[in-house]
Amino acid sequence: MAQEQTFHFETLLIHGGLEPGPSGATTVPIVQSSSFAHETAEDLEDIFRGRKAGQIYTRLNNPTTESLERRLALLEGGVAAIATASGMAAISTAVLTILRSGDEILSSSSLFGGTYSLFRDTLANYGITSRFVDPTDLAAFEQAINENTRLIFVETIGNPKMDVPDIAALSGIARRAGIPLMVDATVTSPYLARGRDLGADIVIHSTSKFINGTGSVIGGAVIDNGTFDWGSPLFPHFEPFAKKYRQFAFSARLRKLMHKDFGACPAPMNSFLLTEGIETLGLRMERHCSNALELAGFLRNHPRVGWVNYPGLADSPFHAIAGRQFGNRYGGVLTFGVASQEESFRLINALKLARNLANIGDAKTLVIHPASTICVDYSPEQRTLLGVSDEMIRVSVGLEHHEDIIRDFSQALDSL
Amino acid sequence: MQLTVNGRPAGIEDKDSLSVTALLDELKVKDALYVTVELNGEIIDRPVFDNTVVKDGDSLEFLYFMGGGR
Repeated sequence: MAQEQTFHFETLLIHGGLEPGPSGATTVPIVQSSSFAHETAEDLEDIFRGRKAGQIYTRLNNPTTESLERRLALLEGGVAAIATASGMAAISTAVLTILRSGDEILSSSSLFGGTYSLFRDTLANYGITSRFVDPTDLAAFEQAINENTRLIFVETIGNPKMDVPDIAALSGIARRAGIPLMVDATVTSPYLARGRDLGADIVIHSTSKFINGTGSVIGGAVIDNGTFDWGSPLFPHFEPFAKKYRQFAFSARLRKLMHKDFGACPAPMNSFLLTEGIETLGLRMERHCSNALELAGFLRNHPRVGWVNYPGLADSPFHAIAGRQFGNRYGGVLTFGVASQEESFRLINALKLARNLANIGDAKTLVIHPASTICVDYSPEQRTLLGVSDEMIRVSVGLEHHEDIIRDFSQALDSL
Repeated sequence: MQLTVNGRPAGIEDKDSLSVTALLDELKVKDALYVTVELNGEIIDRPVFDNTVVKDGDSLEFLYFMGGGR
């Protein structure tokens, strides 16, 4: 589509990267094939050498997945996108594309538990050190950069801490240090903010969440905004890629090394389901945000609720920055506290509509007790660092009628 | 005009010169959004595709980062 760049976001959600095929099908065809035959040996050689575009093998690329990748790149305003088997595959593949043994990540301390585990434990086994700093303390963040720091990593809204860093300011810190900024935008989705507009060089999504929207798929994506100069002497391992592929240097290194070698590719069926789910992202995010605001207001006024953490509440310390960054929308996830872990368990068990499970971004309202689940392997000090307390419940507010969601929490709280 | 594209001869009828953008269109290069273009051994930056002229005798290489090899 020639005029794709001029379409509004909502139109790109539906039409972006969608190329009409000979059958006239209006959905993206599921190309369930492991590999792709070519007429001549010369053709396949050209594709392997990168002289010609074409399919080789679904671990490397696949027409269904490429359709999803084109749409994600258009939505984020990036130069390229790479879809992966999961959100964690996206993070690990992207991070390992940049870092080598001896390098360091300066990471937000407000992280999804899986990312914290990857950074703190797994990458440490390969000689990559992670330093965790409060992303809302800009001075501390800047001071934590040292001669080995090669990447800054933050989440747009910390999950589950619900803090909101000033991403443009963090981007400035990264620029001054000559290192890239990678932003996990899973909680906000491309609808609330494009990472590129906030100054992110690379954007990560767990597409399993709001992009899919129905809890039917595990997937991830890395979006390369083409904004970082990989020819920098701080990244000598990028030199051949920066020379040959210029603004695609990061995507090229990721695809030709980490994505190819680790093999965390999505199944074509999952890519198809994501192209279906993403069409309604805009409408869904509006409802997730308005329902979350309704529920946050109800919870805050309930006598059994000790505290509510949602950036949409006017007295949240992150209300102003979230409003500015995300167009006065505050996402579909909130946390709140009751009296104790025991009470939070009783509350979860009393909920009739909300489902008790480890996910966010579903059409259904979801709850979880993070301390005993996602963060169960961490010490109390580590949980405090991640913003997880024993009495905390995380809610991913769904698309049901807000009165039904509130009624469910109301009856559960009244039963305590 | 006669060009060498990816090491093989390629003829463009009725044209003496073309911009890189027009050439990608003329050759119906697939996924042109993602291609890196090397003209006579020099990588051409994407923002100047419109202003860079390809003429008779030039040699071009197209590079994709999506393929299998390096």
